[in-house]
Amino acid sequence: MIEPVVTHDVAGYLLGALDPVEREAFEAHLPGCAECRADLDSMHPVADALAQAVPQRSPSADLRRRVLAAAPAATGAPRSAEPAGRVPTWLPLAASIALTVAVGGYAVRLQSRVTDLEVRLADAVQRASAADSLMADARRTAFEAQSAMAVLAAPDVARIDLRGQVAAPNARARALWSRDRGMVFTVSNLPALPGGRVYQVWVVTAVGAPLSAGLLMPDASGGGSVYFATPADIPPPVALAVTIEPAGGVPAPTGAQYLVGTPTPL
Amino acid sequence: MWLVAAIAAFRPDAPESQERDRDALRRLAAGDGAGAAELYDRHHRLLYSLALRILSDEGEAEDVVQDVFLQVWRQASRYDPARGAVGAWLRVMARTRALDRLRARRSRPEGRALDDEHAAANVVSQDRDASAVLASAEQAARVRDALEGLPMLQRLAIELAYYEGLSQSQIAAHLEEPLGTVKTRIRTAMSTLRDALRETGA
Repeated sequence: MIEPVVTHDVAGYLLGALDPVEREAFEAHLPGCAECRADLDSMHPVADALAQAVPQRSPSADLRRRVLAAAPAATGAPRSAEPAGRVPTWLPLAASIALTVAVGGYAVRLQSRVTDLEVRLADAVQRASAADSLMADARRTAFEAQSAMAVLAAPDVARIDLRGQVAAPNARARALWSRDRGMVFTVSNLPALPGGRVYQVWVVTAVGAPLSAGLLMPDASGGGSVYFATPADIPPPVALAVTIEPAGGVPAPTGAQYLVGTPTPL
Repeated sequence: MWLVAAIAAFRPDAPESQERDRDALRRLAAGDGAGAAELYDRHHRLLYSLALRILSDEGEAEDVVQDVFLQVWRQASRYDPARGAVGAWLRVMARTRALDRLRARRSRPEGRALDDEHAAANVVSQDRDASAVLASAEQAARVRDALEGLPMLQRLAIELAYYEGLSQSQIAAHLEEPLGTVKTRIRTAMSTLRDALRETGA
């Protein structure tokens, strides 16, 4: 399919995402194009909405003093900008936000090292997206996208594909693993769990016993995506496995293996 | 449609608060320091939060806020109301300055490592209570909802452009996709968000 040629790139202009040559061309084009001017006007609030769609936090109180000290005239007594004792409601979001920051920075620096991985991630992301649409939870999808983005951009990202074992020959899973940023685990076709049982994901390293990454509760179709944070100090995995275990999980694997996989050389 | 409902409470800057901002700016230009304090108190939190989202460094985010207000103090007398709301003007300045710093940081050889403590807890997505994520300033949260409701790859493109300052061609290179695909995705996403905002005003 031929990609449409976008000559009226209002959205790109508004986001500041045009290359210099494109921007000049657009700015030359704009005065003569009523349609683009109308588009620009109508989309302008979107850019400002994006500016406000971030978790709200307060700077140190000292900043107010510094800023106002430089104002043209002396200022009145400090006024509190928000009620005291307010719960920092951004806190639950901090983890997900922290995982997305610097993705772009890494994107640029690591381009030459991770080009292949990005294609694979796009594939994994699409699979995750398809599974999630069944679950109709857009926020979880968004969170996983952020986590997946961070894992994608990690310099040490590795892919581990898992194959179904005797207990579940049709099951498949893919893990994108970064030692620093965690693991995105996407699974499909796992059999329905009997009552009181749960799937548990294990990280097998070259030293010591398998470590539990966490629990997995697939949806009705046996699919799902889970983001696991992983401790930064664990050795690189030589394999991942999924076993069936008593509800709540266990410290070491006891049940049958449903999925096993080893890292794909990159 | 849930997207429209989610964004329905968004009001960029209410007309009366825009008027208060313009008045504060006029008084500031006339040497009334209370005008400066008013502007700071009304806008610093949004500006700081935006800069922090882009830079993820509290000190640098505070520097951005300080730079923005210092410019306002210098240019108060030259502000043209035809340029639009004062708040939007401040946010444009904050974003531009934050992205300048981000790009300067990228051009240095060593990137900064992410803070591991943020990733400390295991998160099993099925168990996460999404409502806990939505509790911050209500209107911002609703806009964020709309953003999060976008298809994943559209949202990824918008975030890389707006908060990471990448051009469309850089995004295309990063994702190894044709530039036209990225442009289409961004245009579609921006149109969706715009339509949601329009519903708000209806």
